[in-house]
Amino acid sequence: MGAFMSESERRKRRKAWLVAAILSAAIAVVFVVSMNTGVIRLSPIDVLRTLAGGGTERQQLILFDFRLPRIVISLLIGAGLAVSGAVLQALSRNALADPGIIGINSGAGLIVLLFIAYYPAPAATPAYLLPLLAWAGGGAAAALVFLLSYRRHKGLSSNRLILNGVAVNSGFAAVTIVVSLRINPEQYQFVATWMAGSIWGKDWSYVLALLPFIAILLPYVLFKSRTLNVLNLGTPMATGLGAFVSREQVLLLAAAVGLAGSCVAVSGSIGFVGLIAPHLARRLVGQRYQALLPVTALSGALLVMAADTIAKVILQPAEIPTGIIVAAVGAPYFLYLLYRSK
Amino acid sequence: MVKSKLKVPALLLSIAFMSMLLAACGSGNHSNTAAGNDASPPPASTAPAASPAQTKMTDGLGHEVEVPADPQRIIASYLEDYLVSLGVKPVAQWSVANGTQEYLQDSLKDLPTIPYDLPLEAVTSFDPDLLIIGSNSAVEGGKYDQYAKIAPTFVLGDEVNNDWRKALLKIGEVLHKSDEAQKVLDDYEKKAADAKAKLEAAIPGKSVAAVWLVQGKFYVVSDKLSSGAVLYKDLGLKAPEVVKEISASGAGNWNAISLEKLADLDADYLILVNSDKDSGSAALNDALWKSVPAVKNGNVYEYPKSSSWLYYGPVASSQMVDNLLKDIVK
Amino acid sequence: MAATTRKGRDGGQPAGKKADDALHKLHSRPRTAIVLIAAGAAALLFSLALSVSFGAMDIKFRMVWEAVFHYNPDLKEHQVIQELRLPRVLGCMLVGSSFAVAGAVMQGMTRNPLADSGLIGLNSGATFAIALCLAFLPGLPYRYVVLLAFVGAALSAALVFALGSSVRGGLTPTRLVLAGVTLSALLTALSEGIALYFRIGQDLAFWFAGGVANMRWLELKVMTPWIALALAGAMGLSRSITMLSLGEEVARGLGLRSGLVKGLGLAIVVVLAGSAVSAVGAVSFVGLLVPHLARKLVGVDYRWIIPTSAVLGALLVVLADLAARTVHPPFETPIGAMISLIGVPFFIYLANKERREL
Repeated sequence: MGAFMSESERRKRRKAWLVAAILSAAIAVVFVVSMNTGVIRLSPIDVLRTLAGGGTERQQLILFDFRLPRIVISLLIGAGLAVSGAVLQALSRNALADPGIIGINSGAGLIVLLFIAYYPAPAATPAYLLPLLAWAGGGAAAALVFLLSYRRHKGLSSNRLILNGVAVNSGFAAVTIVVSLRINPEQYQFVATWMAGSIWGKDWSYVLALLPFIAILLPYVLFKSRTLNVLNLGTPMATGLGAFVSREQVLLLAAAVGLAGSCVAVSGSIGFVGLIAPHLARRLVGQRYQALLPVTALSGALLVMAADTIAKVILQPAEIPTGIIVAAVGAPYFLYLLYRSK
Repeated sequence: MVKSKLKVPALLLSIAFMSMLLAACGSGNHSNTAAGNDASPPPASTAPAASPAQTKMTDGLGHEVEVPADPQRIIASYLEDYLVSLGVKPVAQWSVANGTQEYLQDSLKDLPTIPYDLPLEAVTSFDPDLLIIGSNSAVEGGKYDQYAKIAPTFVLGDEVNNDWRKALLKIGEVLHKSDEAQKVLDDYEKKAADAKAKLEAAIPGKSVAAVWLVQGKFYVVSDKLSSGAVLYKDLGLKAPEVVKEISASGAGNWNAISLEKLADLDADYLILVNSDKDSGSAALNDALWKSVPAVKNGNVYEYPKSSSWLYYGPVASSQMVDNLLKDIVK
Repeated sequence: MAATTRKGRDGGQPAGKKADDALHKLHSRPRTAIVLIAAGAAALLFSLALSVSFGAMDIKFRMVWEAVFHYNPDLKEHQVIQELRLPRVLGCMLVGSSFAVAGAVMQGMTRNPLADSGLIGLNSGATFAIALCLAFLPGLPYRYVVLLAFVGAALSAALVFALGSSVRGGLTPTRLVLAGVTLSALLTALSEGIALYFRIGQDLAFWFAGGVANMRWLELKVMTPWIALALAGAMGLSRSITMLSLGEEVARGLGLRSGLVKGLGLAIVVVLAGSAVSAVGAVSFVGLLVPHLARKLVGVDYRWIIPTSAVLGALLVVLADLAARTVHPPFETPIGAMISLIGVPFFIYLANKERREL
């Protein structure tokens, strides 16, 4: 019996490695394709030459300043949002949880809207101001939901978390509607594009801004895989552990908020990744968070990067927000999953 | 207990936060300074631009911009009105999926279009040598730096952008056509003054309101902005009380007016911009609309949505004055 | 209802009797419900009168009375009362009851206290249809847009239902909700995409913000019979819904044809919420909050929850509309936002006070 278990365990591990390898290869392929797509045609040879340091000034501009940072950002936010979603699903023990549910998107969106509507800029606003505000708005909304759902001695109630999330989201949405009817069409367009998830921060400074969050929080969450396994089961054992559980919940929630908040600050609201990537990963490698989290991160990165590539070309020369493509690709897949499930 | 354990991650978070700030600041400054040097027009561009004649100007957001002496390939999306009035042709014009600025199409007919949100690569593909951008939100979030890498980028800023006279003079200055811009302005002021006198003679002391019908709903123009500025300021027409009341608390160029308020509209003349023409404008058959005094008396002048009433700028304003002279003064 | 129960298989005792016994044991407060409905109706009448008398135009109460009972079409004030305020207020009432009852039926059937009509894709279906109209058929007259919005709402609900039940293992509440949420996300994203690409986002927002102001006699005439029929249907189905709310197993044990009940229930929800959404836009909190409140007040029997929800829903929307018109004159605040702003704090209070988790 024991031998059998360990054999199946080993097989699972091998499968997880294989899945991760395939996903990484797919990411590499889409990366290359994405480098070669855009309004301005660059042949693969031009791309190679430019990457090697050659190429005209214009080719360098397009590749290094426009395309590369955008691709890298889409990878980072894909991974960040996906892992954040996986953590939230474990914490709330709800398969439908994603960063949007604890108010991050609506909080960030409202702050951006208020800023655009009421801040009369006398001079150029620094590039970091808006993402910073969005980060703060998302964090504040999540903190509000958290505070409403936290009970001393009892810890975080997953049901309350979702209920309060729904409430806070609707409240923010209401204020958003009232304010957005008062702004001029140009401002409205900016905010609407932001809210649809346009990955609007597209240069290297945003990569640098995002990197520390991903580099610190992602490994931290991975390190906590075991805890997530326990929380996800929601067994009496978990509650029996009392204070331990509530502390771990708080820390993990903070990590999830930090990840999603920083991603949303740079990308705008991209909703479906946090929901879909963990589901996909769960189908591929099962419930164990040690394998689930890396695969979630990879599939999230792949999804957003592929979606962003499609968003660039589908209505050329106009671009549509990546978040819309993510939903358009992700939702049918999710419905398919639903159809297949027993 | 909980608190002490929270410290480490909190610390890490704040480090991450700080580094985000630093990174953003640092690279922001860097690209700002770099912009000026690297921004020489791409090699494909036409004239070997006379570099000594470049002028340094400060734009509405405080950027130092090296404006070329004789820009040939300008993109000034949604600012085409000004360029047309100055006789300058941009390389691409503003567009959305379902249209362009129709009232300018006499001058811009065959010009290629560029999406309203100015995607970076689409802009690059036109090889512009000067970008003029109107509103603050168009360059929000580090976008300015990226545009500046394509070509010198001059942002008017919301304050200038919202006042077409200022915007006209500023764009004239940027294009080294200050005299022409002043002349356009003077011509308009003179035309408006003439029209004012004629209107005073034709309809002394009468009040006028501009109403916009779109998707079955009515909007009235503000008494100070957009075409309202032309009507009430330039042409000295009287604003009805309802318009004043709505403008006092509404922020937009056009503010929604409820049907109930519309029934109360005390204007002698109505200018109706009808965007519902194709759909049969059912709202105009409403008993309530028909009971508005100006409608009852047949004093409604209707213009299509392709007219200039929904825009502002020297060409738009001038066309509005023409409309009124033609229809009311006759 | 006899039609929806079948003879019990076991031991001679008719299932109807057994079901009656089971329902009898439910925690229900009919007396409270009757008082509530009566008081609610009185309050509704009062607020109808109040709402007709207040508005952008200053009209004396005497004049209001005359306009209603001695209509003189030559008077501007009478026209405003007759043509605008009366249909609007009655529309609010109708829409409020529709949303609330649709929410109650949804919550009962799915046994999910968070369910409302938006969950099965009605709102996003309507929004998507309107976005398509604004972008591709800009010339379409208003009334046809409303009609298409209803078609969009009904289609997406049907799609959700089909997707949810095509799964092996049949339709479960969770699947219904999952399919609904996913399809909503998809349609919302597509609407956003269309709105951004065609730059009609604000038109779309305005469309929904206008809401109840668009209610005229014609809309009322078209809507009222359907809504009345659906409300009556909901009442007729209420006993079966109560059984369903006890759980699939219990309902089946009591001899309920649960598939039929669910089908009828969904049809009722589509008619009620679909017509309400296409007429005034998504006013989601009514369907969530009112049935919840009703259940707290009158117990878990849907024979009482549904009528109580209808009255309270109507009252809420009429009052919210009055507030939306008076809070920032001469402008009107979108009624959906108004109700959310009232509803959110209340909802948070409910969600956190309750001992029993929702």
